[in-house]
Amino acid sequence: MREADIIVVGGGPAGVSAAIEAAKSGLSVMLCEQRPALGGAIHRQPAEGATPVAVLPSLRGRWQALSAELSASGVDVRTRRAFVGVDSTGAVLIEDRAAGKVEVRRPRALILSCGAVERVRPRRGWHLPGVAAAGGLQVMLKEGRVPGGRILLAGSGPLLLALAAQMTAAGNPPVAVIEEGDPASRPLAGVRLLAHPSILPDMAALMMPVLFRRVVWRRGTRLTEITQSGDMLTACLIAPNGREERIEVDRIGLHDGLRPNDFGLPANDAAAGLVILRAGDVREVLGAHAAEADGAEAGREAAARLAGCPPRSGANGIRRLRSLQTSLSRLFAPVHGAPILDDCPGDTVICRCENRTISHLKAQLSGPDTVSARELRLNGRFGMGACQGRFCSEWTLSLMSELRPTASPSSIAEMGACRWPLRPVALSSLAKGGTNADTLTEPHMEEISA
Amino acid sequence: MTAVRTFFWRGSEVPFRAGESIAAALAGSNIHGFGKDPAGSPTRYFCGIGACQSCLVRVDGRATEACLEPVYDGMVVMALEDDDA
Amino acid sequence: MREQHSSPPVIVIGAGIVGAATASFLALAGTPVRLLDASTPASGATGAADGAVSVASKRPGPMMTMARAGAALYRELAEEGLFQGLFHRRPTFLVATSDAEADVLSDHSEALAEVGAPVLWLTRDMAADRLAPLSRKTVAVLEVEDEGHAIGYSIVSRLISAAGLKVERNSPVAALEYDGRSGRVSGVRVGEAVIEASAVVVAAGGGAGGLIGLPDVSRPRRGQQLVTERAPTLNAALPGSLLSCSYLLSKKQGGDADQRGYGVVIDPLETGQFLIGSTREEGRNIPENDIDAVAHLAASAGDMVPALGRLRILRCFAGIRTAICDGLPMVGRMPGVDNLFVAAGFEGDGICLGPLTGRIVADLVRGEEPEIDVSPFDPGRFAGRSIAA
Repeated sequence: MREADIIVVGGGPAGVSAAIEAAKSGLSVMLCEQRPALGGAIHRQPAEGATPVAVLPSLRGRWQALSAELSASGVDVRTRRAFVGVDSTGAVLIEDRAAGKVEVRRPRALILSCGAVERVRPRRGWHLPGVAAAGGLQVMLKEGRVPGGRILLAGSGPLLLALAAQMTAAGNPPVAVIEEGDPASRPLAGVRLLAHPSILPDMAALMMPVLFRRVVWRRGTRLTEITQSGDMLTACLIAPNGREERIEVDRIGLHDGLRPNDFGLPANDAAAGLVILRAGDVREVLGAHAAEADGAEAGREAAARLAGCPPRSGANGIRRLRSLQTSLSRLFAPVHGAPILDDCPGDTVICRCENRTISHLKAQLSGPDTVSARELRLNGRFGMGACQGRFCSEWTLSLMSELRPTASPSSIAEMGACRWPLRPVALSSLAKGGTNADTLTEPHMEEISA
Repeated sequence: MTAVRTFFWRGSEVPFRAGESIAAALAGSNIHGFGKDPAGSPTRYFCGIGACQSCLVRVDGRATEACLEPVYDGMVVMALEDDDA
Repeated sequence: MREQHSSPPVIVIGAGIVGAATASFLALAGTPVRLLDASTPASGATGAADGAVSVASKRPGPMMTMARAGAALYRELAEEGLFQGLFHRRPTFLVATSDAEADVLSDHSEALAEVGAPVLWLTRDMAADRLAPLSRKTVAVLEVEDEGHAIGYSIVSRLISAAGLKVERNSPVAALEYDGRSGRVSGVRVGEAVIEASAVVVAAGGGAGGLIGLPDVSRPRRGQQLVTERAPTLNAALPGSLLSCSYLLSKKQGGDADQRGYGVVIDPLETGQFLIGSTREEGRNIPENDIDAVAHLAASAGDMVPALGRLRILRCFAGIRTAICDGLPMVGRMPGVDNLFVAAGFEGDGICLGPLTGRIVADLVRGEEPEIDVSPFDPGRFAGRSIAA
């Protein structure tokens, strides 16, 4: 079996759209998805026997349409395949998680559609069991497991309300949504949303549980710390008037926005001879509709580049969606500005994988010598654990900036951790990689059914 | 009615639905803490997309993300802290 | 000795382990010093090293002798406090998996015994007892005591902080400045500025040759490595580093660009992780990894210790060693320039020899007798090849 012309990484709306569009050109396309099923986060599919969750009005029917098109497209779909990275020779490394083996592939184009990852700002106690990312709770709800017991959602951004609405529809509304922003105090931003009528049914769906008083929506309020009390978690909240209160719950979902899930991804010009493109939220967080359009554009772009055509102008429709995203961000921006990490208790965990706290970080920066971000990582061990800084680098650098306001901020790349493998891979899986190993052993899926 | 599918979490039988991840199945049985990792941090479900490495458990002696790994009948899943010999 | 305020400082170029040690010992002795680095401390080979403080892996000759003293200094400084918590004493185990390898090992054992390194020959059965996770393919093992492990960037960080040094980062030295009349070094040029110096120590690894007019004596030699996740139980079952005999062979040959010069080392780290190395790639100077090398290292490590197979690799990285054409580093005063010193070209032995070299060079700069005769490493041996300053 010959090598695919194009490999698409990520089976959400962007990746599926890119694969479909690229396949229309007649080129061979392989779509790799790390989970056992396609859908990504926004279209996470229910497990067998689970009741499907109602999607936002603007997304109804979209996944069914995409899936049908994909089935008819001739794209080679491979699940439980994780993207490991592009090595120094331009080889595309894909881990077959079921077989425990790294495949070494040499497509002519690589489309990365790995979606968005949540930002979760460290608060004391965020690392405790029972505390999850709100988006994490959301995808698990879509898989069919509704978070049970008393749930508190906290942070900022429309995802909190969306999850609250979905949990309410599933029979367990959260105890409260603790929102750092206050959309009601930003009428101009709200008015700007009217310029995007397609989003209005979604906004209405988000607001229903609040308007019908099934969900308490506390605005301008910040969750500052979480402590364990027996089997329960106690959250400390600061109200707009500065009053502190505590609330006891079973689980907490935190969320402070989304950013591209692009940590360590190879740059578009990373490997000579290999066309690398990004599509969807991993390129720019603009939501599910933009992801489909962006993916389709990337699929066309990849096909055009492989045919020897110059890069397309592209980006149609993105500008409108970008202004929508900007309006939403303004609407939900935290009232009191970006919270200062420096004020948090010293035992607040910054790097969960290595158990490194704010105090550890301050100790690293306390000497007369002005250490670099890279030295902070190596000597302080921030980002040296299993996630390699994917989650904590933003906060490590943010705190470093707060402690050194006059210095120019360091970049994530300067920390030095952005290398392949993009995620941990078993030694035995890597041992089976390399060109002397049999790399193309999988028969094409159509051949199996023959 | 089909028989309830089960797998083993730290020696106890836990039901699961076909196609769901270890993390989802455990959440369905109200199991939210997976013990401590070698660095002393509590492991538990967090991001749901395989990015944070917080939900590590051990299958066939190998550490793996509970949020990505699909359950199969009779699967034996242990916590990281149970044994790594 | 009273320091004159008008006297400019000693400038040390390069904040790797050799430069940091030199600057630190100078500062601790009261000599004003400035430590410059083109990037940040330990951003070269020191920051991508496997951390071996080892006599076992050295070639017989001045390197092995120097390594004995280097390892002894680590033990001394660990006890005194400077390296407390950073240096970990443990044996090195050289592993033979064939009769041919066992023969090579036997010769090496004699060479080690000659320099006084405590060695112990382990038969297959003894090895199975001492190193339970080791593969059953093992034919013989040589256990070498008085070895240890230290992480390069941690040592550098400690050397800097212990001496209260403030490193001048992102300050690449373009050239040395000479006083026309005396022929002595007068300073260094960084960008448009000239920094005055009473003496200069060039400890700039691969960049040293260019600064001292010997651009052709050194060449880069890349080493790719892997780091695993934490595995405390397996880690505790291995009391020291494991070196395959092919490691000894690879150091001897160097390896051309095709051969890659694989020599497997498995280092248990203090965190419970393992470091697995390494290639020896002649002429490769970009610190990046390719799947062939990584797969080969992974397979070799798994062959030696099968239980490693199920551990996940968190990180691949590469360090660029600096190898001098005759296999010995350059340490000492430059011929004809009485205030210019060089200390570079340690290939894969920088961690072991770094602190010792720093102390020796600090003594040379201060006009004192060094503790070891470094004439085998005299940079003057290349005098015929140098370009006139």
